[in-house]
Amino acid sequence: MNRRDFLQSASAAALASTTIARAATPAVKPIRLGVIGAGSRGQEDLRQFLRVPGVSVEAICDIYPPRYEQVNRLAGKTVPATANHHELLARTDLDAILIASPVGLHAEHVIATAKTGRPIYGEKALGFTVEDNHNILAEVTRHKVLFQIGHEYRYASWAQEAIRRVHAGDIGTPTHIYAYWHRNGDWRRTVPQPDPGGKLEHLINWRLYRESSGGLGTELGSHHIDMANWVFGEQPQSVIGTNSICRYHDGRTVGDNVQAVFSYSQGRRLVFSSITDNAKLGCELWIYGTEGSVQITIEDATFYFEKKKLSNSPDDSVGKTVVERGVVTGASYSTAGEMPYRGPGEKVVTATSEDPTLAAVRSFTEAVRGEHEIFADVHCGFRAAIACSVAHDAVFEENKMSIPSAKI
Amino acid sequence: MEGIKHKLATALTMAILATTPLVKAVTPPLTLYTTTHPAMGTEFTLYLYSADPTVAAETSEEVFEEVDRIEQLLSNYRDSSELSRINQNAAASPVTTDPEMLDFLTQSEHWSRASDGAFDITVGRLMKAWGFYRHSGHIPPEGELQQLRAATGWEKVQLDSAARTVSFTSPGVELDPGGIGKGFAVDAAVRILRAQHVAAAMLSAGSSTLYALGAPPNLDGWRIVVPGPLPSHDSLSVITLRDTSLSSADCSEKNFTVAGHLYCHIMDPRTMRPVEGRTQVSIVDPSATASDALSNVIFVETPGQSVETLKKYAPEARALIVSGDAGHPHCTIFHWGVAIDSTRCPL
Repeated sequence: MNRRDFLQSASAAALASTTIARAATPAVKPIRLGVIGAGSRGQEDLRQFLRVPGVSVEAICDIYPPRYEQVNRLAGKTVPATANHHELLARTDLDAILIASPVGLHAEHVIATAKTGRPIYGEKALGFTVEDNHNILAEVTRHKVLFQIGHEYRYASWAQEAIRRVHAGDIGTPTHIYAYWHRNGDWRRTVPQPDPGGKLEHLINWRLYRESSGGLGTELGSHHIDMANWVFGEQPQSVIGTNSICRYHDGRTVGDNVQAVFSYSQGRRLVFSSITDNAKLGCELWIYGTEGSVQITIEDATFYFEKKKLSNSPDDSVGKTVVERGVVTGASYSTAGEMPYRGPGEKVVTATSEDPTLAAVRSFTEAVRGEHEIFADVHCGFRAAIACSVAHDAVFEENKMSIPSAKI
Repeated sequence: MEGIKHKLATALTMAILATTPLVKAVTPPLTLYTTTHPAMGTEFTLYLYSADPTVAAETSEEVFEEVDRIEQLLSNYRDSSELSRINQNAAASPVTTDPEMLDFLTQSEHWSRASDGAFDITVGRLMKAWGFYRHSGHIPPEGELQQLRAATGWEKVQLDSAARTVSFTSPGVELDPGGIGKGFAVDAAVRILRAQHVAAAMLSAGSSTLYALGAPPNLDGWRIVVPGPLPSHDSLSVITLRDTSLSSADCSEKNFTVAGHLYCHIMDPRTMRPVEGRTQVSIVDPSATASDALSNVIFVETPGQSVETLKKYAPEARALIVSGDAGHPHCTIFHWGVAIDSTRCPL
């Protein structure tokens, strides 16, 4: 009997009493979590996991020892720690693994975990290089392990409702997506001094170096690429792009700004921009359709509609055609023109506004308990990550580059 | 989150902060950097000494990221916050939460118990009934207040540390973190400063809660001016702080007046009404979470009750309480340790 069956079979009389209903809350199957990569994102994922009933953290792996105490504080207990992921995976008391290491290590960590057969919650992007992505997909598939990619916006209630409506035709045919992730900050983490040889710099600020990071296009853009894949129902076929260092001349080797255009079938496009010295636009994604637009942010979604086009319906409240009611003459001045629409829009209303990461990890634990399939699965992760891997080179080459499809 | 408690205009005398430190030739000079950041319905300000502007910028960014993280944890203005999730679900069944949130609720419960309910984060609906949630103050009908008694009271929040759950024993309970949340955020942000080995910094949450870390070069600490008694902004007392926090509460910025009577946004949860007879309070404690909560406690309690509470539960604290009204203020102190202008506020 699963959790839902249990709840449905509970007597109405018992549920009528709050106290008794609490006593009747079924014990959930414990999920003992191991964590590979306990940096800032790993800790945020872990914090959300601990908000799910039955989840505990039993071991972590990180090569930077200060993380151990940070996790102990977060978990409210001393969590066994190691710098060797094989040592963590050799434990027999772990039911699932959270992998939030730097993207360049994902292939090594995901494939090693997949071989143990344990369910994996893997942070995006799936893999760093094109080869990494093919290898991860192949190994996860071969070992038949549950895998959920950390594209948490797939679990945001407002994003799900907005894209359901887009697929239902509320904005006509979606043809273009413009996505922005604009910040005002150098994206750096403080590095303890002294740091001979810059080892800690590269360990802590791995996002700033081309050999270990896909830069803004991967670390931020992968979410938007995944959303575009979701809207268009496919992965992009090619990408052109550019990047530069405009503001932060601090030795980094990835751009402090990136622009890329991803091509989908039927001429559809995703335009992605990330800059790091102006946060006016923040993080937002616009889906443009032939009859309207929808703006999706990290907190909400809002629809806007184009002016009505060709219609053969009576066009006023009394149901008369222009032939019957005549045309009223007057001044022709109008300020509409090409000005941006500045009206209120129609905000998407949902029953819950749960944090997307909490919703994502809750869904993962339910999948581990056998309650349903995984939505943001390894294929979803592949389709976004493979585009990131190619775009990573494309923004340096500034040439149009093809994006390969999965081999399986 | 717009705070329950608005800032007392504690002022920094920045002139002394500009003092150039005496440095050895090999030591880069420390410079004072100031950054501001909107959060929790106010403006946070970080004053930070650093030898390197890049390090100062990185540290500031991490500090404010932490403040933002705590806001996302505690905001009762954001539907996606952890606190909102608890508000929405804890009356129906126990809500599993993370140790940090449980720690926040446990500290809140501690000060509620210590103050016999003078401090209480279940005032969410009470604040709305009086119109303080979105600055639309009004006197609610008596019947509404009586109904809200069933949804107000810290004992209605049940914590289970072992199971990591929180539940409400009555429907309608709504947590409002305004009396303690900024202090909790300041403590979290100060942990970032300590982890970065920052020697001298001060973080101010809209000036109502601030933390003085270390001391400016060649000084014993950070100079804080307590103004008043309000509405005057002249100095009532000047205190120097080092490795400790100070929180202040007053009614100057969030209130409304009906028939010439001023209603303050700080509630006495026991009477379900705004506090009367207190003008302003300031309290020093090593924990910003504690000083934030205690500033509410000593605002709500009578000065005599406050002294007893502090003796029992916060013997290390230092407090300055101004009661009465603008025309006839009188001061009460607890281990304050520095002079006050008694011509302006007799003890």
